[in-house]
Amino acid sequence: MLNEFKSTLTKVIHLRSIIGYNSLVFALKKTPVIGKILPDALYRTRFLKVIYWIFHVILEVLKLFIGKFAGLGLIYLVTAFLTKEYMEFGKGAGMTESTLFGCFALSFFILYALFGILINRPVFKCTTEKEYLVFMLRMNARKLNNTLFIYELGKLFIGYLITGLVAALFGAPLPVCLGIPVLAVLIKIFGTGAQAAVYKLKNKHHKPMKTNGTFYLITVVLVLMIMPLVLVFIANGHYVPLPILLAASALLAALGVWGFFVLKGFGSDLHRRALRDNIVRTEVSKYKETDTTKSFKKIKANGTVKGDKKGFEYLNALFIKRHGRMLIVKPVIFTVCLMVIMGLLIFEFVYGYYTRFGGDNCLAMVGSNLINLITFGHYEDALLPFESDSAVLFFRFLVQYHLLGLLIPVSIADNSFKSTQAMFINCDNSLMTFSFFKQRDKIIKLFDIRLKQLIKINIAPSVAMGIFADLILFYTGGQDYPFQYLLTIVICILMSAIYAAVWLTLYYLFQPFTTSVNIKGGAYRIAWIILSIVFCIVCWIPAHSAILAAVLLVFTAVFIYFMRKLVYKHAPKTWRVRV
Amino acid sequence: MEFVISHLVKNYGSKQVLKDVDFIFEEGKIYGLLGRNGSGKTTFFNCINSDIDINSGSFYFRDGNDPQKQIPVLPEDIGYLVSTPTVPEFMTGREFLKFFIEVHEEITPDKTIDEYFDYMMVPEDDRDRLLKDYSHGTKNKMQMLLNIIASPRLMLLDEPLTSLDVIIAEEMKNVIRSQKQGRITIFSTHLLDVAVDLCDEIVLLHNGRLEPIDKSNLGDSDFKEKIIAALKDQDDA
Repeated sequence: MLNEFKSTLTKVIHLRSIIGYNSLVFALKKTPVIGKILPDALYRTRFLKVIYWIFHVILEVLKLFIGKFAGLGLIYLVTAFLTKEYMEFGKGAGMTESTLFGCFALSFFILYALFGILINRPVFKCTTEKEYLVFMLRMNARKLNNTLFIYELGKLFIGYLITGLVAALFGAPLPVCLGIPVLAVLIKIFGTGAQAAVYKLKNKHHKPMKTNGTFYLITVVLVLMIMPLVLVFIANGHYVPLPILLAASALLAALGVWGFFVLKGFGSDLHRRALRDNIVRTEVSKYKETDTTKSFKKIKANGTVKGDKKGFEYLNALFIKRHGRMLIVKPVIFTVCLMVIMGLLIFEFVYGYYTRFGGDNCLAMVGSNLINLITFGHYEDALLPFESDSAVLFFRFLVQYHLLGLLIPVSIADNSFKSTQAMFINCDNSLMTFSFFKQRDKIIKLFDIRLKQLIKINIAPSVAMGIFADLILFYTGGQDYPFQYLLTIVICILMSAIYAAVWLTLYYLFQPFTTSVNIKGGAYRIAWIILSIVFCIVCWIPAHSAILAAVLLVFTAVFIYFMRKLVYKHAPKTWRVRV
Repeated sequence: MEFVISHLVKNYGSKQVLKDVDFIFEEGKIYGLLGRNGSGKTTFFNCINSDIDINSGSFYFRDGNDPQKQIPVLPEDIGYLVSTPTVPEFMTGREFLKFFIEVHEEITPDKTIDEYFDYMMVPEDDRDRLLKDYSHGTKNKMQMLLNIIASPRLMLLDEPLTSLDVIIAEEMKNVIRSQKQGRITIFSTHLLDVAVDLCDEIVLLHNGRLEPIDKSNLGDSDFKEKIIAALKDQDDA
């Protein structure tokens, strides 16, 4: 049995390597300049194939460690941090450090693993190598899927075990570090077993398994929202007791055993059919993707532009009026989510205060601190004075010196990319056939109007982010210098302005969209990758908020000035329909 | 005024689409650019309209009074009607026309918006509907109307009558004829009958080159057969 496992796994990895190597050579040969130099013989060069094979193995190992280290390692780090806090302030109601660690680690891990099985379900996904092996080389689908599943479980177990052992070396309790890898394996078996059971049931009633995009989106949003909330609740002294978590773990383990039996009874035919269905679904979704413009066509002639707007101002106002929903939905969702999180945090704080000190005191505290907030003061209260512990000081440090880190949420809230897509498919694509649209002065005029518009669209989420940062500042001691609250908001707005300018300039300089809104053109992608790397690096640069505000103010002005220059000079040639 | 094309070359990778295009177009005439499917008619227009880069060669205007002077072709000199009309779909016909007139500050419109619509025979109930809901023919009319308002020196018409019904095609032909004075009109088509019916001159785009056909033969009953034979011969060669 072990030999069979080894043989199947070797075949799969070998095939993966061949597919990867050939795809790489194919991509290189399609690259301008380089492609012409490279000979076709590259496809059969044994030496290079061996080198690629070595890289492939290294990559597998790296994926094994980086993925597991990043996920579980972060959980252990946060858990250790919270445990230390609890021990320092005696919040744990007499629990030992090990118990607290186990309690927090399990809280985070169970959520993490459950979200993981909802999003990540690769067993019945028909990859290229599975398609070749099962449908061309007639390998037994069950044998193949099971081999790969065992391989995945092995990687999961080893990765988590090593992460756990490293954590144990730093003082994490060994039983938790050994138990979590086992629990992870059982939860994964449960997830896959559940998927198999659902498939079996649907197959019995001849119902297709559909990939639900909205479901995945909701899950991702939940992960993004719930994890920080859990962290905040635990940080505020609320946690699920260990016995409940252990009971939940036992239940999940039992479900894992159930999943094992479901998978055991899932026959070769069903495996093969599931893979075939996946191919069909992928083909259908590919076919659907060809009409990517569909989402941009939902326009209604609702109202018209009032006032004395003329020319390009009129064009832009009409564009915004008819595309409003499409353009602002993402920033609005982001703003609402942020407001909800802020609201929950404030509610949690006020409610905690109310239960401790009663309604009158709570009302007095809220009233006085509202006045403090309006007068740019800081949180003050005699009954519950601000305690300067390392956790809050850490957040204060972030809003004082690491506001550049907000580039990450800014990039999430920003909708400029989709806006440029809508501009192209519903407006520019057609107007580009008219000569007036390609005249320098008119191009830059419209560019300016659009940039202002994109900045306006980004203002709400930027201000929400700034207010969030200001609330942290307010609670942790208030302003260090006059106008710090205001400057924090200004910094967020400036960062979003830069982001909007980047996307819009990239669009004007590389115009990457085809008429079906697919992206064509390596230059756009390369420019985007380089800018993303730059943003990632910049995120980590520490800078005092006062200095940052001054630098950003100057930088934004200079940056937009140069972007305008570039657009003015090059866009008449570059901003055109891809033929 | 003349529009001169000098040794224009356009390649797609190793494939030569326009090999050595050398031609002079004269003002006041409609040129029928005739070629088989895939002969490079659209590529030729895209090159002139600067939508794609050319590999070598040049094109410019030449004034009859000063033949040595090369006048560069500016974007505003060209009006381009594409075969599949694309219009900003989020606007109504009236809004688009209003916007178009406003951005062309140099133009003093001699008609009201409704008069322009009437001139192009755009149905009244279409004028305040979104352009995305327009029929192919009405979109084509809109495109033509805008180019008439912009009044460019050089009008490139890329198979504008393709898939139009008989009535609209006839209306379009009349408009094209009425607009030929004071400008150069190049009308591409793969339909020989349309070219013969509408154009003053016929130019063959074949094997990547432009070749004029003697206009005195246009009325000749053997003319079509001669062109077909020419296209076949050159293709076989």
